[in-house]
This record gives sequence, C-alpha cells and structure tokens, in this order.
Amino acid sequence: MPHHLFSKYSKAAMTLALACLLTGFLAACGGSSTSSSNGPVTITVWSWVPNFQQAVDLFEKSHPNIKVKLDNVGQGGTEYPKLRTALKAGSGAPDVVQLEYSELPTFAMTGKLVDLSQYGADAYKNDYISWAWAQSTQGDKIYAIPQDSGPMGMLYREDIFKKYNLAVPTTWDQFQQEAIALHKADPKVYMTNFAPNDAAAFTSYLWQAKARPYTSNGTNVSVNLSNEATQKVANYWDDLINSGAVQTIPDFANDWNTELSNGTLATWITAAWAPTDLAGIASSSSGKWRVAPLPQWNAGDNVSANWGGSTDAVTTQSQHPKEAAEFAMWINHDKTAANMLSNQLFLYPTLKSVLNDPSFGTSVPFYGGQNVNKIFAQSSAHVDTSFQWTPFQDYINNQLTVQLGNAVNGKASMAQALQQAQNDATSYAKAQGFTVSNK
Amino acid sequence: MAVSEQISASRKEVMRQSAKTQKNPGRHRGWTGRTIMTVIMLLFFVYFLMPLFWLLVSTTKTNTDLFATFGLWLAPNFNLWNNLHDLFTYQGGIYLKWLGNSAYYSVISAVGASFFCALAGYVFAKFRFPGRRFLFSVVLGAIMVPNTALSIPLYLLLSKVGLINTPLAIILPSLAVPFGVYLMRVYASQAVPDELLDAARVDGAGEFRIFWSIVLRVLSPGFVTVLLLTFVGTWNNYFLPLLVLNDPNYYPLTVGLAQWNAVASSNSGSQVIYTLVLTGALVSIIPLIIGFLCLQRYWQNGLTLGSVKA
Amino acid sequence: MKQQLATDRATLAIKDSRSARRSVKGDNLPWRRRVGLPYLFLAPFLLIFLIFFILPLGYSLWISLFADKLIGGTVFVGIANYIQVVQDGEFWQGVLHVVLFLVIQVPIMIILALFFALVLDSGSTYLKGLFRIGFFIPYAIPSVIAALLWGYLYSNHFGPLVQIASFFNLPAPNFLSPTGILPSLINISTWQWTGYNMIVLYAALHAIPQELYEAAHLDGANWWHTAIAIKIPIIAPAIVLTVIFSIIGSLQLFNEPQILYTIVPNVIQDHYTPNLYAYTLAFTNQQYNYSAAVSFALGAIVFVFSYVFMLFTNKDGEN
Repeated sequence: MPHHLFSKYSKAAMTLALACLLTGFLAACGGSSTSSSNGPVTITVWSWVPNFQQAVDLFEKSHPNIKVKLDNVGQGGTEYPKLRTALKAGSGAPDVVQLEYSELPTFAMTGKLVDLSQYGADAYKNDYISWAWAQSTQGDKIYAIPQDSGPMGMLYREDIFKKYNLAVPTTWDQFQQEAIALHKADPKVYMTNFAPNDAAAFTSYLWQAKARPYTSNGTNVSVNLSNEATQKVANYWDDLINSGAVQTIPDFANDWNTELSNGTLATWITAAWAPTDLAGIASSSSGKWRVAPLPQWNAGDNVSANWGGSTDAVTTQSQHPKEAAEFAMWINHDKTAANMLSNQLFLYPTLKSVLNDPSFGTSVPFYGGQNVNKIFAQSSAHVDTSFQWTPFQDYINNQLTVQLGNAVNGKASMAQALQQAQNDATSYAKAQGFTVSNK
Repeated sequence: MAVSEQISASRKEVMRQSAKTQKNPGRHRGWTGRTIMTVIMLLFFVYFLMPLFWLLVSTTKTNTDLFATFGLWLAPNFNLWNNLHDLFTYQGGIYLKWLGNSAYYSVISAVGASFFCALAGYVFAKFRFPGRRFLFSVVLGAIMVPNTALSIPLYLLLSKVGLINTPLAIILPSLAVPFGVYLMRVYASQAVPDELLDAARVDGAGEFRIFWSIVLRVLSPGFVTVLLLTFVGTWNNYFLPLLVLNDPNYYPLTVGLAQWNAVASSNSGSQVIYTLVLTGALVSIIPLIIGFLCLQRYWQNGLTLGSVKA
Repeated sequence: MKQQLATDRATLAIKDSRSARRSVKGDNLPWRRRVGLPYLFLAPFLLIFLIFFILPLGYSLWISLFADKLIGGTVFVGIANYIQVVQDGEFWQGVLHVVLFLVIQVPIMIILALFFALVLDSGSTYLKGLFRIGFFIPYAIPSVIAALLWGYLYSNHFGPLVQIASFFNLPAPNFLSPTGILPSLINISTWQWTGYNMIVLYAALHAIPQELYEAAHLDGANWWHTAIAIKIPIIAPAIVLTVIFSIIGSLQLFNEPQILYTIVPNVIQDHYTPNLYAYTLAFTNQQYNYSAAVSFALGAIVFVFSYVFMLFTNKDGEN
C-alpha cells in the first residue's frame, strides 16, 4: 500500500507540473494590457447605495473625460469578501469602493487603499463632522472620503405610548421600567428588540456608553469587552432580556419587519438612515411613529453615538487613481452631489454645510409631520468622537454575533459571552502578529 | 448497414431493459389497497408541492398582503400581473438579462461538459491504456472534494489569467464534471457492445468516426442525462458566480435573486421588493420544470444505467 | 487488420471473448493506438479537469502548509495548521452537526425514496406519472432558492405552518430556534433530494429483468415480500450509490445553512458546518491558509466516511 501511494504522488506531481505549464500558457494568452488612451478614462465604482446611478450621472455630466461603471456587488458583508479576494489576487478590484467606517482600518492595514491626501483631500478636513473625518484618516493619511453617517436616535410608536400612558423615556433607567410595565400591560407588545445578530448595533450602544472596546495603533491593538462601561451595557440588556420585556429576533429580516409594522415593537433604537427604511418596511403604520433623542445613561446628558454610514475609498489596483480620487471627493463634497445624496438618495450627510443648512430636513407625514432630520442633526452634533476600530473588525463582529447569540439563547450571561469574544479576538490578534494590550 | 443495425439493436436492448412494462408479482392487489396507497402518496405529493404552491400564491400578492394574509391562499388583491411587470422592468429589466445569462452559461457548460464526459467515459470504459486506473480513481476522488477548498485558489487562478468578471469564469470550471465521467463510463461499458466497435473497425472506420457516428448515438440517453445534470448544476450554481462575477450584467439568476433578497432585508435602502424576489424565483424555476417534463423519458432511462453498477 | 482479426478468431476460438477483445486493444497495437488515441479522447476533459480542479486543489494543499499573518507576512509552518484543526473545537462542533445531520437525514431520505420507488414500480398506486414528476420537481429548484423559500415558510409570523398551527390553537413550532434548526435543515434537504434519489432507485427497479421474477416463483407473495426478497437485494448497488452520494453531500453541507445564516445568524453560527466554517475563515477572517487546512480535513473525513460505508456494505457480499 505505501509504495503504491508514493507512485501515485509522483504521478500527481507530474500532472501538476503539466497543469502549471498550461496555466502559464493561458496567462500568456489572456494578459492583454490596456493601451494608454487620450480619450475618456473609465473607472469602476462599487457601491450598494440604491439609485446611486443618479449621482453617478451627475458626476459624468460635470466630468466629460471620466466614464464611470457602477457595480453593486452587494451590501457590506457581501462586498468585503469580494474586495478582499480581489485585492489578494492582485486584480479584479474596482477603482472606487464603498466601505463602512468600521472596515477602513482593516483595508488600510493591507496597504491596498490609496492615500487621498496626495490628491488634495486634506483641504476638506474641516468640512466634515469630526468623528467621521477622524475615522477616515490615520495620522496624515486619508484613506477615504466620508459619504454618510448614522447618528442615533429612537423611533417610537406614539400611539402605543399614549395608549399605555407612558412618557417617552429620556434615560435608560426609565426605558427599562417602562419596558417592563408595557410588557405586563400587554404581553404581546415589547418595548424594543435586541437584535442578537447585529454586532454593529450593539457596538453603537457601547459607543454611546463611552466604552472604548477597541484601540489600534499600527501593530498594537487592544480589544477590551470586559471594561466597566461595556459591562454596564451588557448587564443592562441582559436584565431586560431576562425579564422578557424585550424581543430578541434578528433585525432586517422578515419577522422583524412584520413586528415593526404590526405594533409588536414600541421603539427602534436606531440611526438616521432608519426613518426612510422604516417608512418602506412598515408602510401600514404610517403616521404612528415619532422620533426622539437616544435615552441617556445619566439624566440630563446629551451623548449620542453613530451606527453605520460609509465612505468611498480608492484602491491601489486602480489604473487611474487621480480620476478615482476625483470621483470619491467630488461625489461626496460637491454641493449638488451632496444635496442629491441626502435629499434624493436619503443618505444622512456628513458634510457640515448640508447638516447646518436651514433647508435641510422637512416634515415627514410618516412621522406625523415631524422634522425627523432635524432631531438627528442634533444627535450628529453630540456623537462622541473618539471611537476607534480594529484592523480585523470583521472577525470581531463575527465573534460578537456568535457570542450575542449565545447570550440571548441563554448559554451564557452577556458579560461572560463578551469576555469569550474578547478572549477569541485576543488570541486571533496574537496569531496574526499584533501586539495586544487589552487596556 | 450491419453497424447501424447493431446500433439500433443495442439501443433497443437498452431501451427494452428500462422501458418495458412490468408485470411483476409484486403488483398490488385490489382497488382498496391501491386507493389507500394513493392517499398516502397524495399526502407526500402535498408535502413536495406545498412550498411551490405557497410560492405561486405569494407571487399574486402585494408586499403588504404577503406579510399580512394567510400564506396558502390568495389575498383579496390579485397582484400577479403587476409583480410580473415589475419583475421584468425593475432596474431596467435586468432580470431578463439574468435569465439569459443563466441559460447561456448552462447551455454552453452542459453541451461542452456532456461531450467531454462522453469522450472520457467511453475511453475509460472501452480502452485499456497506461494510467487508466490511476486517472479514474483521481476522477472518482474528485467528487469528495469540498468546494471551499477550490474556491480561493480557483479565484486566484482565474484572476491571474484575467478571467474574473467574465462569463468564461463560470463556463470553464463548469466543463469538468467528474460525476458525469463516472456516469458515462458506466453507461458506455453497458450500452456499447465491443462487437459493434470491432465490426466498425473491421469496416475500416476511423476512431473519430466510430465515436461520432456510432458511440455517441448509442450513448444518447446517458448523454442527455449528463446534459441535464450539468445543466441543472450550472443553472443552480451560486457559490462560484457569487465569487467570480462583479458586474450585475453577468449575474446568473441565483446570484441576482440572492442579491435582491439581501437588498429587500438590508438596512440601506428601504426598498420593499420581497414579492419581486419571489416572483423572480418562480419564473426562474419554470424553464427547468418544463425541461424536465419534456425530457422525462431520457433522463429516467439514463439514470437507470448509471445506478445499476455501483 | 481484418486478417489479423480473423487469425485471432481462429487461434483464440477456445478462449473467452474477453481475451479476444484484449487482442484488439492489447499490447500488440501501436503506441499511437494504445496510448495516443485514448489520451487524445481524454484530452478535453483532462485539460479542464487539471486546470480547474487539480491545480487549484494542489495550490490549496500547498498554502495549507503556510501561515499568512496580517503582520509579518507568510511563513512556512508545515503541518501546524492541521494540528490546529485537530484541536479546533469549532471545527469539531461543525463536524458533529453534519454527522448528526447525516445519521438522521440520509436514512429518512433513502427509506422514503426507496418506498416511493417501490410503490411506483409495483403499480400499487394511481396517478403514477403525477407522483413521479411531482416528487422530483424540488430537485429542479436551486438550493439557494429552496433555502430562501423555506426561510419564508419557517417564519414565526407569516409562515403558513405557524399560521395553521395558531388557527387550530396549537403551540406554534419554532423552526428557527436553536433546537429546531437542525430538523429544519434536514427537512429542506429531504424535500429537495428525496425525489432525485427516488428516480435513481425507480430506474434501477425498472431495469430488473422480468425473468428474475419468474425464476423466483413467489406463489402468493405479496408486495412487501417481493420487495424485501427480490427487488431490494437486486438494486442494492444503486442504493449503496445513492447513500454514498448522500453521505458526501451531507458532510459538505453548505448552501442551505449559508442562506439560513442570513436569516438567523445567531442560531446557525458561522461554524455550523465545516464547509461554512472554512468559508468564514477564508472570507471573513482572512485566514486563507487555515481555511485550506480545514477544507482538507473535511475532505479526509468525507473520504473516511465513504470508505467505511463501502467496506461495510461490501462485507455483506453485495457488489
């Protein structure tokens, strides 16, 4: 048997060698390089913003020498693996790519994002809200231009609060008391939903509580999901979940849509992009929703956080980095483009000029005529600015999803689950060659 | 003359074996027994077709009714025509393009792969040559390889030769179907009599002509089976196109629909397109069902021979 | 050529036809015919197979011997990745899931498929044609779409199954709970593949020569006895084949859990099956090398299971 195996291996090696030859042959045939052109330059843009083509058209009109090929290769979690594989393979990546803030350190780390400061992006520094700019840059390197953001707020069902004679909560304590009272009054109704699948949502709760679970500084990172502020948040939600007063289903799924529209959920702790979403998801409950600022950990405070939003970055695979940079900068900075993004594509702006424009935001019938964007604009001004991410945020968010699921399914307390996520992330980071100091 | 007679004789034999009407002693007795069995089978029939019935019913609903009315019956608003209209016009009618892509990839892959498999299976069955056993065991072993082991290196390979984001990135890998080779080998060793080949050689026919005008004809039921299996395989393929295609204009239906579904339940965009996803799903399976119905006789016979000799 | 054949016939007349055949393809043929021709015919398949199967596989095996760190780059680590796989609790958890899936789903599916095939073959039901095609149709549905469909049907709110249960005031089954998810996955695969296996077995039954029944002389034997005594033993090879492919398919379970993962990511976790785990490792965690090792470990497990099953069935004297 063994010698038989060996002869098999040697034959396999031969065939492998043959195959390598063949691929070399294919490569020689396939590799046709594009010749230098004087005509219009074409750049590829990956973005999952719905109807983004409208903004692209605007860009092409003002830049006759740049043609844009827009591809939607999927939302965040679908796009990143593709981008990662393409960057690793050395070809196939777009010129401009949409990235969430939390992904920027990850992709910047690979050295495959173009520093946009060489194309004059540093001139924009003071035009964007500061946390968004801070997260798009590292030192004097600018890895992306902020596109939209998600300052947080609370969408709530005014009719449910009225019916059960509850005040709109301004603190998390009040939120908890009312949650229990509400569920007691009607066991079919929950104050809100804690989505165990949504690491980003949970992270935004941490953000507001001033927990700073992640820091990263070159090859030195820290992952601390057991600090005091994180434990406060974890225990708070653990208690609420154990009391049965909050629902625990995955968000952005069919069942969740149904519960938002049929009055099962009284609030949605969410971000500025949500009002438009909700109007689509729960159209039958139009007129019943309102917006309020986030409940606070300390009465009288005014601390907000961010959830979501993204940027446009330029990859090093781009043959036309100058044009690509021009696209990323123009589309997110030009006045007409920025207005279109916020008013027609419903992206929540990161440009101060748009946020402060008195004409920004109108009354929305779905929210009983409330000027929703104004409330979020106030929230945007109070987003704590020092939050950071790790250069392997996908991994951590994945672990968080696993562990939040364990906590909600009763396999561990939330604090224990987070400790486990921290341990896993720490050993992952060490294995990847980082120095880890979990301060 | 002699050869073609033998072809038709051997084909008839194969057909006779599989298509004969059976009068075996296991036949069920009377009317009651049959009725009871029919009822049992009907229950399973309901089980197998219930999801499709739900799909059919759902495509007649509006997005609101989809989540608000009983799933297995019609809602008051009959919205099928609107859904179909939306399906074929949404995003500039890209669905039609996906349908075309799926058909294009599947037809090319299926025809190419079946032809390659027929050639290879015939050689494995009817020729003795150095390396035969080794090659065939490699082909068999290939069936056990998990697709994730191939995905990354395949991507790197395709990108090296500049095939990422082209139809060839789907078609070329789909041309190698180890299971098809196995099936054709089993089929060929049973359906192609050596006497037939010998006679043809005696008549002075070249090996290519023998394959082209004799073997391929004898193999046709097996060929159609592999054709269908490969067609379904490519039509249903999700993982590979998801990985190697970026341009929605190249997407096959599976990837396109999965992406619509992701958009429907995403947090950026408030586009409620659930009914679109479902209508798209329904329309996408219709061609396959029609194909299976039309070619029933072929694949049912083909699978016979593939299975007799394990 | 003709002459040679004639001589052969004369001299080898006593020998069986097998050795006569050997003379046609035997060693006395020129190299062109003996080696060149078969390889020429094999070339199209082999070329594609080598480039798009063996080569990536070899590359995968190669990179599984390295570790690629985000900081520090690529280093050769030998079999360290494999040692890590063996010690990896998440990998074995996934293996446990697919093995559980295997030992529950495959028997259910094969027994159902065999039952249907026997019923259809014996003609003991009306509406044969309808059932044959009806049971088979789920096979034609892409597994992505099938999982998507069932995802809707399992819904706790508007899923018709839950709607029916609540209509009769029954406790609604929670298909997507941690305990319900495995049966739910089993159901999807059974729904999708039973008809296909039924057709394979039905076709095998259909091919049983008439004479066998006559020779068996079963006086007064009923449906059940015929099935047990004659039909099942004869189509045993076909059953073995369907089981082997089902084993391979079960252990490599990927599409269904991946689609359901998007619906209930905290119930089906990213390492729910080994294949899903390998996918996460490669595409989310950027651990390409370790992912390759996991894939090969899975391949080894698939091989062991299939091999053991074949040994097991061969012992009984089947082919």
